[in-house]
Amino acid sequence: MKKLLLLPVLALVAFFFLHAKVKDNISIDVKPDVLEDQIPSHVKAVIDQKCYGCHNADSKNEKGKEKLDWDDFEASRKAKQLATMAKINEALIKGDMPPAKFLENKPEGKLSKEELETLLDWSAGKKKSPK
Amino acid sequence: MKRLTYILGFLALVLLGIQLVPNELPEVQIYNTGDLIQSGLVSEDVAGLLKTSCYDCHSNETVYPWYSKVAPTSWLVAKDVREGREELNFSYWAEMDLMKQLGKLDDIAEAVENGKMPMEIYVWMHKSAKLTDAQRELIVAWAEGAMDTLVEEGEEDFEFE
Repeated sequence: MKKLLLLPVLALVAFFFLHAKVKDNISIDVKPDVLEDQIPSHVKAVIDQKCYGCHNADSKNEKGKEKLDWDDFEASRKAKQLATMAKINEALIKGDMPPAKFLENKPEGKLSKEELETLLDWSAGKKKSPK
Repeated sequence: MKRLTYILGFLALVLLGIQLVPNELPEVQIYNTGDLIQSGLVSEDVAGLLKTSCYDCHSNETVYPWYSKVAPTSWLVAKDVREGREELNFSYWAEMDLMKQLGKLDDIAEAVENGKMPMEIYVWMHKSAKLTDAQRELIVAWAEGAMDTLVEEGEEDFEFE
């Protein structure tokens, strides 16, 4: 009688193992691209020097922090990053950043032509030209 | 008593006088081929919310109320609609590039989530435009989902380091 009971229990255990294995296999090919979208280093150099001072998680500049926080940016998902890049691009094209008020006291904070170009190129999302 | 009559009469004259100040309400266009809702990015329930709570200012399909024909409220309506369309016009959705669309969707999620939009004065005059918390959540979830969808669809157009 007891041995008879053992059979379905074994079957059940075997089933669980099988089940676990299947699940494992699936979870392997989900989300492989976490490290894909880092900011290129030459862009990051400009950001660190000219933007990060106000746009970081511990910034005393509340408005700057709220509008854009680079620490947060790096942790965001791709769609969010691209959305932010689009807004950065717009602000740069309009000449809104760095703010004129800020540059009055800190003229060395101005973006050089090359730096601006670097940021514009990057924030445009590097869309391939349509064929 | 006589004095009050004079004051009222004067006010009436002023009110009549300001009607002569030229004021142009932004033009209405019902058919817009590049419209967001026609783009297939919006589910039916979200489309309904956008129409009743956003489209009066953020599209070419503005439905003007009677007081938009009367100064001084007409000035305010004209200004809000003009600025609203300038910031984001759903009627021209298809004309924006992918990056711009992503930026706008992100703005939508943020403005709706923190209650910045729809504007208080607008909701005050349009009770049906008021969004419940659940409706806000629905719009935010839609906007964020749409961002991911657009990125997935446009994957081949992007080149990452």
